[in-house]
Amino acid sequence: MSNSQPFFDFAPIWQSRVLLIEGFGIAMFSAVAGIILAIILGLIIALMRLSRFKILRGFAFIYTQLFRGVPLYVLILWIYFGLVYAVGIDIPRIPSGIIALALLNSGYLSETFRSGILAVSNGQREAGQALGLKGWQVARYIILPQAGRIVIPPTGNQFIDAIKDSAILSIIGVPELMKVAQEQANLFYRPFEFYTVAGLLYLVAVLIVSRGITALENRFAKYSRKSGSSENSVVTTATTDASH
Amino acid sequence: MSETLLKINNVTKVFGTHVVLKDIDLDIVKGEVVCIIGPSGSGKSTLLRCINFIAPPDQGEIIFEGKTWKRFHSRFNIFANRKYEGELPRLRSEIGMVFQHFNVFPHMTAVENVMLGLTKVRKEGRAKAREIAEQSLIQVGLGDKLNQYPEKLSGGQKQRVAIARALALNPKVMLFDEVTSSLDPELVSGILDEIRRLAKDGMTMVIVTHEMNFAFQVANRIVFMDEGRIVTMGTPDEIRNTTDPRARAFLSSILG
Repeated sequence: MSNSQPFFDFAPIWQSRVLLIEGFGIAMFSAVAGIILAIILGLIIALMRLSRFKILRGFAFIYTQLFRGVPLYVLILWIYFGLVYAVGIDIPRIPSGIIALALLNSGYLSETFRSGILAVSNGQREAGQALGLKGWQVARYIILPQAGRIVIPPTGNQFIDAIKDSAILSIIGVPELMKVAQEQANLFYRPFEFYTVAGLLYLVAVLIVSRGITALENRFAKYSRKSGSSENSVVTTATTDASH
Repeated sequence: MSETLLKINNVTKVFGTHVVLKDIDLDIVKGEVVCIIGPSGSGKSTLLRCINFIAPPDQGEIIFEGKTWKRFHSRFNIFANRKYEGELPRLRSEIGMVFQHFNVFPHMTAVENVMLGLTKVRKEGRAKAREIAEQSLIQVGLGDKLNQYPEKLSGGQKQRVAIARALALNPKVMLFDEVTSSLDPELVSGILDEIRRLAKDGMTMVIVTHEMNFAFQVANRIVFMDEGRIVTMGTPDEIRNTTDPRARAFLSSILG
């Protein structure tokens, strides 16, 4: 860095502001779309994992292991280049990136959701059955709402991960924030400025999402907080007492 | 003799290699109050769970109002399995059950707890369901707690919600599974009073309990179980003067 230039030159950033904001928008869109799909897929996989059918359990297990076990980098290349090469399916850049984010995060979320479902005491299911509710009604009205509250914080974590992971979409040329920052940094020879600003923008997004998650948690806290632990202590005694 | 409402025929239940219930036969007459007593691990609760198929019997059958219910499982015909499981809610909706650990739904207020079965099982409209639910909660003395979440309720109040939730569906028989065992001592008598009130109203009930004085007072018939079998049964007087050595040993250990 030459001495004639300021340590942090804001001018090129300001000049590229429109591109940066567009890149930020694409990054957020990819992360949000990816996490929404991941939640849907993750829930389906979690339910399959808990199914009584061995085939579904087996499929869900392999799915989880595969998409949790492969780096996002490889996943993106597979979907964008590999699918064209292997079976001739050509998916555009942004959808490819979103699919990759969805698959990776659904692998993690399926395990989160499964543990959330299992954390609801067996007595809750029994009480629902005893009322005469059908299996899906027990799931819909009793198990899932309680599991949902349990999984809010870890799902929020996953969302935050997805926001930052969206930076990797730059490798297939998605014009998201990281890609824009890279290009503009090269153009102006100001990498420090552009990468710092990109980092700050991710940070801002993460802080906003964190606020949202806390708000969501508080909305559900009206019946929880303390009862969470006391209900859990009931779980263990209820299962051991089953044979009395 | 009045009509038999519920017939337990030759019921056996196995957990792994452990035989929990062995060839249980028990007939329950309409309006009767049957108390099941016996040491821990004797299979009392499991028998209760077999009646509404929360723990389906491995062998034998339950005959409820003349209809026979047997466990069914096919390794190949998943449609038949689904059909069988689809039928069970019909049996369960006629049988109310109250649990040791209350099992109230923590994400619903007291009145919502009671409304769930009314709207989803009995298919009542929301307004009608709320009316019945409120009535049911007022009956058990919770008229001022309608919109409270369970977290804000004491153990005794939670158990009252659970009783109201079961009664609101107007069941033909009530099953009570050690419903006072996890209550603080000062709350026990209130719940027992609720059950006495039901007995007075002619409700058919099967009660698993460790409260011996209560059992001898409220029951028409007492069933003594040990090691998965019914050892002896009879009227409270008959059981009090039983000659069966195991029953005598159990009663003297509890009553002193």
